[in-house]
Amino acid sequence: MSAPSFEAFLAKLYVDEGVRARFLANPRDEAVKAGLTTEEAEALASIDRVGLELMAKSLERKRQRRLPNAAA
Amino acid sequence: MAAAVVAEGAGDVGDKSVNGFKDRVGLGWRPALAAGILSNLDKIDIVEVIADDFFDAPRHKRRALRTLAAQTPVTLHGVSLGLASSVAVHSKRLDQMARLCADVVPVSWSEHLAFVRGGSVEIGHLAAPPRTAATTDGALANLDRAMTIVGAAPQVENVATLIDPPGSDRDEATWVSDIVSGSRCDLLLDLHNLHANALNFGFNPRDFIARLPAERIAAIHLAGGKWIGEHGTRRLLDDHLHDVPDSVYDLLTEVGSRTRRPLTVILERDGDFPSFDCLLYQLEQARKALERGRERLSNESEEEAAA
Repeated sequence: MSAPSFEAFLAKLYVDEGVRARFLANPRDEAVKAGLTTEEAEALASIDRVGLELMAKSLERKRQRRLPNAAA
Repeated sequence: MAAAVVAEGAGDVGDKSVNGFKDRVGLGWRPALAAGILSNLDKIDIVEVIADDFFDAPRHKRRALRTLAAQTPVTLHGVSLGLASSVAVHSKRLDQMARLCADVVPVSWSEHLAFVRGGSVEIGHLAAPPRTAATTDGALANLDRAMTIVGAAPQVENVATLIDPPGSDRDEATWVSDIVSGSRCDLLLDLHNLHANALNFGFNPRDFIARLPAERIAAIHLAGGKWIGEHGTRRLLDDHLHDVPDSVYDLLTEVGSRTRRPLTVILERDGDFPSFDCLLYQLEQARKALERGRERLSNESEEEAAA
């Protein structure tokens, strides 16, 4: 596993609700399943959950604002 | 492609600095603010333009931007390069920035210390990367390429984050300082980003400022934000939709007291626009806050000389 792969996993976690839900239910297993090392999975297991949810919501709102026909 | 970016302070579009330190205070260009900016250029020392908005802009918009840059100092601000990543920045994106810089000839250009994509996923906004040796090295390599292709080093900006970046093994002050010290890039210190991160993650923003290489701070961003989330787990969101809080002006005073370098201060406002007079008032508050810092610096220098 490499730093680019770790960043790629974070990007998915931030924007994909399904990936995020599966991860939050079982962080270590989902991280390992995604190909991350045990050390990286361990780092993600202690993720800032409040921050993750708030960031995901904030990103979603920003994406909605950029879509011309998106609901407010 | 090497663009003819004019060195900071060397532009011939008028020295509109506000004091003996040659500081400049200005505003971020937004279409909704265009009329206000153009009719108040005597009160606005510099205008910051989002570069990405002009990469694919029609010719007449580019021409309008060149006209603006001929009237007043303009700095270009990038938001999508994703320089702080272990992944190499796309040459195509740097070429776009190089072409725009060559066309507009800004006094400087800047980008964020953020990653904005990973693998095939576009995050759609600025995200704080893991603060590690890998992202430090990646950022340094990307900044070197950016400087080569664009023809001038970008100023690099600290970002606000709602999440403590997973996988980090060092704090933000260390990470930012290492990148600035290891590159030829100066720092665009966003004081509301710093204020928000300090409140959200429990550190002292003044200690953070004290740990930065003071003489590498070249520019400042000011903005406002709002609290989001549930009681007990609230976080401050840097949304650029609110007025600058007093605590951020206080941080500007702090920075002004720590470096003799000329500072460019930009007020960022992205929406929920107040009257233009209110924005001009905030610019005036910024000038006063910076002036307080400059006075403190001058007084300390006099005391040292007298000792």
